[in-house]
Amino acid sequence: MVIDWLPSVLITTLLVLAVVGGVRRANLWRAGQPEKVNIVAGLLALPRRYLQDLHHVVERDKYMSRSHVATAGGFVLSMILVILVHVFGVSSQLLAGALLVSLVLMFVGALFIAKRRLHPPSRLSKGPWMRLPKSLLMFSLTFFVLTLPMADILPEGTGSWLLTLVLSIGIVLSLSEMLFGMTWGGPMKHAFAGALHLAFHRRPERFGGGRSTGLKPAVLGGDVHGVAKPSDFKWNQLLGFDACVQCGKCEAMCPAFAAGQPLNPKKLIQDMVVGLAGGTDANYAGSPYPAGKGDAKVLGNAKGGIDNVITAGLIDADTLWSCTTCRACVEECPMMIEHVDAIVDMRRFLTMEKGKTPNKGAEILENIIATDNPNGYAPASRTHWAADQNLPLMKQKQTAEVLFWVSDGAFDMRSQRILRAFVALMKAANVDVAILGDEELDCGDVARRLGDDATFQQLATRNLATLGKYKFSKIVTTDPHAYHCLRNEYGDFDVDGVLSKGGSGQGVEVLHHTTFLNQLVQQGLLKLSAFKGGKVTYHDPCYLGRYNGEYEAPRALLESLGIEIAEMERSAFRSRCCGGGGGAPITDIPGERRIADMRMEDITQTGAELVAVGCQQCTAMLEGVVEPRPVVKDIAEILLGQLIEEVH
Amino acid sequence: MPLNIVSLVSVGRHPQSGRARRAEQDSRAVELGLKLADTALTVLHVGNPDDPILRQYAGMGLPSLTVLKQEDSVDAVPVLQRFLEQKNIDIVLTGVRAESGESSGMVPYLLAHALGWPVVARVADIVAVKDGKAEVLLALPRGQRRAVSIQLPFIASMDHAAEAARQSAFAVGLRATVESVESVGEVDQIRVDWQESVAKIRPKRLKTVKAKTAAERFKAATAKPEGGTGKVMKNETPKEKARAIFDLLLEEKVIR
Amino acid sequence: MTTSSSAIVRRDPRKEWIARNRLHPLHHEVISEGLGHVIGPSGLPRKNPHQIGFIGPNGIKRIDRLKGNGAAVSQPHQAKSSDTVLPLHTVTAPDFYIFVVPDLVGGRLSVHDKDILGLAHALQADMEGKGAVVAVCFGDTKEEHFDLAGVDRLIQRTSDEFDGFSPEARAAALTQMEETWAPKHWLFPDSVHGGTDLASRLAASLGERPASQAWQVTPEKVVCRGAGGSLDIARQTPRIVMVLEECGNAIDETRHQVLPLEMPAFHEHTPRILDRGQVAVDPNEIPLAEAEFILSAGNGIHNWPQFHQTAEALGATEGASRVAVDDGFMPRFRQVGASGTWVTARVYMAVGISGAIQHMQGIGQCDKIIAINTDAGCDMVKRANLSVIDDSDLVLSELMLLAQAYASEHGNQQGSKKQENSDAA
Repeated sequence: MVIDWLPSVLITTLLVLAVVGGVRRANLWRAGQPEKVNIVAGLLALPRRYLQDLHHVVERDKYMSRSHVATAGGFVLSMILVILVHVFGVSSQLLAGALLVSLVLMFVGALFIAKRRLHPPSRLSKGPWMRLPKSLLMFSLTFFVLTLPMADILPEGTGSWLLTLVLSIGIVLSLSEMLFGMTWGGPMKHAFAGALHLAFHRRPERFGGGRSTGLKPAVLGGDVHGVAKPSDFKWNQLLGFDACVQCGKCEAMCPAFAAGQPLNPKKLIQDMVVGLAGGTDANYAGSPYPAGKGDAKVLGNAKGGIDNVITAGLIDADTLWSCTTCRACVEECPMMIEHVDAIVDMRRFLTMEKGKTPNKGAEILENIIATDNPNGYAPASRTHWAADQNLPLMKQKQTAEVLFWVSDGAFDMRSQRILRAFVALMKAANVDVAILGDEELDCGDVARRLGDDATFQQLATRNLATLGKYKFSKIVTTDPHAYHCLRNEYGDFDVDGVLSKGGSGQGVEVLHHTTFLNQLVQQGLLKLSAFKGGKVTYHDPCYLGRYNGEYEAPRALLESLGIEIAEMERSAFRSRCCGGGGGAPITDIPGERRIADMRMEDITQTGAELVAVGCQQCTAMLEGVVEPRPVVKDIAEILLGQLIEEVH
Repeated sequence: MPLNIVSLVSVGRHPQSGRARRAEQDSRAVELGLKLADTALTVLHVGNPDDPILRQYAGMGLPSLTVLKQEDSVDAVPVLQRFLEQKNIDIVLTGVRAESGESSGMVPYLLAHALGWPVVARVADIVAVKDGKAEVLLALPRGQRRAVSIQLPFIASMDHAAEAARQSAFAVGLRATVESVESVGEVDQIRVDWQESVAKIRPKRLKTVKAKTAAERFKAATAKPEGGTGKVMKNETPKEKARAIFDLLLEEKVIR
Repeated sequence: MTTSSSAIVRRDPRKEWIARNRLHPLHHEVISEGLGHVIGPSGLPRKNPHQIGFIGPNGIKRIDRLKGNGAAVSQPHQAKSSDTVLPLHTVTAPDFYIFVVPDLVGGRLSVHDKDILGLAHALQADMEGKGAVVAVCFGDTKEEHFDLAGVDRLIQRTSDEFDGFSPEARAAALTQMEETWAPKHWLFPDSVHGGTDLASRLAASLGERPASQAWQVTPEKVVCRGAGGSLDIARQTPRIVMVLEECGNAIDETRHQVLPLEMPAFHEHTPRILDRGQVAVDPNEIPLAEAEFILSAGNGIHNWPQFHQTAEALGATEGASRVAVDDGFMPRFRQVGASGTWVTARVYMAVGISGAIQHMQGIGQCDKIIAINTDAGCDMVKRANLSVIDDSDLVLSELMLLAQAYASEHGNQQGSKKQENSDAA
């Protein structure tokens, strides 16, 4: 290099600019609402969260995970060494050598990333993201050449003015992308915001193999309910939006996107970024929201600002109502962004502040408020289904080992078949069970997903008060939605410790009926004959699988009948939603196809004649598909068919 | 000049759960009032200003409600009359019948009589108001409509056919102010003597056969009940099948 | 033949005796009486087969092979009971009046009206003294059988003020009647056809506290529904009562006088409510829940333009099954069923709908169901009053032709239809 001081000046300038950008960006996030986060613990946990939890998600795509490890690892290492070697001028052959090695590592990784970008899948964003691999290559090459003299491989002062010029341009261009762009909104922002997002994540329980899926309670009585403007999000939610790498894994998994409903989780997060930083979505270079049945959207028309109402100009309300809250996007997101939280936050604003729950939403909510069930049935008819079941009521018994949470399936004739099947199985196993009868209320799932947290909180409090009157050690339910609410969401309102301590002080175990039945089968309490039907596949309900991690018990039950499950391509944590969650059948946003039809195609592709389900909502949605189609049965119904009744 | 519109609201009762709610027809009166006068609408209630159900009405987008504070046992009509007389009101909107209390549906008529205003029942919509007259659509059975024009001021009671009430937003209802107005009222003395009990199920009228002879009685007792399986036409030509359908439609008088 | 116009059958015991006795010299004559014993042109005796036998009670021709040896069935019962003259209930110089103001939907007494007239008589019978039941009718009526419905006295007001929708004039006329006759009770049908409205107006102007939604009425006590139908209120019977449906038994055993009561001239009256007439409503604008006649489409419809045309030709409101809505052929608000709209149509015509349980739930309250389907075993066919097993395309196109032919035939009668509609209110 002819001018020795030039590289270090350039690097320092860009570093300073990056720091300025970082502070500026942090201020954008700080426009959000305060949320208590343990800063130090978060930062300390960062490497572990990055290397373990995030990598665990990225690892699902081996090609990408390896390329990323090489590139990102190479870059971080190179950057540190570049600062040492080129800015502070530490002259050590060893350091220079290490720098060269890490640059080579990075170069190789970047090559693979560049290769993927040759024919990028549609889920990937284009635009500046197409430039990124080139910048990565340029960075590693520039600094490689720049470092060669330091490692004594080339003599000092090699090169000409021309080389100096080329290297200087290389430094400026590549570091603009890598440092300046990182904090000023370029593609590399994902590294900066992503790292901090991991450190200050709103759900730290998710790291280290944990699970945190319950929605956070809305604060009632404040100036605004839910999220109207980007500044109404918590600051770390805003930070989370900025972490998006636009990899489109969410888009590829989103059932609403596939059905042509106007939702694309990736675009939604990018629109949130537009909202927090201000401007329009003109620079967005990924797939837009599907047009649904309306006109295709032209990019650049969506305008946002930190204090602009989001649904007035940035995104359509229909986009928010298309979500089935299936969490496929969250499960798939390598950055662990919480899409569903954001969507429900914004729905809360639409419902509680605007009174604009679409289609049947308003009617359903009104019914829930007036009758404690979504369809406005007489509360006194809640136990009619069990007239011939001889089920004791908690009111009479006061105490039982198992409390059977019946859920609103009690009013639906199809779901009642599932309930009866489950009751018959419990009777066969002599379970000490009781129900709440007419004292039970809707669990509040639908109200909460539709954004009416006031009603949800009321139902939760009232249900908890009822539960607090009786003694039981387990709650079992056939409805994964109720299961999720009771297990993960009621805790926030359980001031008396009804569930956490329970009547016995041991805490109450909330179980899905498949888990419970599996326990019974394991204990040998149910005698079952082998299943002799045709091919069987299993559909994982979102609220059982992704929300609660129960993938095994249903499968174990089917296997106990000698069934070899013909798994669908999208099963377990990648299961595709039936379209019945999050109030989606109520808000009924039109698309090009129905989610349930697509799921039924997944099922028919396995050649199965029977699809086993563990959720009454899934049963209803899948049975709503026009025949001919495989038979849909709840696992309880299948088990009952194989039950060997003992004659006493 | 903006219209001065008052919607009278009462505490409703859900037919299935019996729980208090915003009344179906009264909330339609608020909806129509909002359409005509936007937030300049006065929503008026006689009763307890702390009733949480008032928040459900307010959630429709009302900045405030006016409550004439009274006990349940008080006759609302004179109280309302005194209040309405003081104001320069164009239209008073009510429900046809309350969902609680006597449900006689007399309030609009008594008020109209007391104020000397015309009253129309079962309004589906108020299409236009000009030159001191309102063009009103009345609901007739089976979705039919009648147009009438009425001189202002008048009282209208809302039919179920009127536009359904918008969703009540929790937060809007929470923020609304309730202006409680002290008022003088008399206890409804006549009602004190009534006996009230839970409604008995009314027997459906059976098809009674007036039979004078033993043979006729026997025939009536052994006659096959009507209904059962209907007629199925399989092998006839489409023309004959269509004819059979059309004849049934004519017989049922649904072809006009 | 011995047929007489009177329904009273006179037996001739002597003839019956001869008919039974085959050895009687006159037996043959009696048996063949009325059969027209004719000597043909060839000199042979001829029987006219058309004169043999008699028309039985169920309208089918019967030949009595017993030659009259059975019971006295040989007496032809051709006089129908409709000709029987019911005893006349006469009221002269009544002690009091009970006024009934019927709805007269379409100019005729409705079932509801007749029940209330019957109820008025039942009340009258339980009260001291002899009362007369008065029916008050406004405008032209088409009713021909006021006598059989129990109307002792009739007040008919037919001047222009009472035409069409004229609640104020009618209420004023009722107030005037109150001044003239001071009836003991006023009974109104509690109905959407105007009865409730008129009763409330009268009550307000008289300052009477009426009983509304009454369903048990005796001279002393009424039981009314209150609090949205959830409460029974028992109270002393007031003078003005609005009575629910099916609360009295219509008169069927007596005839009544239907004597006109003359009204003094009607006071001059300026209406503040002006009737602008009934508005033509597009059947498709009628909310599904209220529609009287629904043509509903399901998965079996392939020709959608044809379906819409048929609905238009028949004047039916369109409905749809969930699948048809999901597939985007119909808007969501047209969906019939448990998760859509619960309908109350009198006639529900399901085209290509096999009848999922939710759908059948939604049409539970319909009177007549017509099914057009290719599957004779589907649930809709099982429920339907008339099912046609065929391709919907063919049947709908034939139906459309019929509807068009009917419309062109009856087009000239539209004017008179309108008239009837305005009376109906």
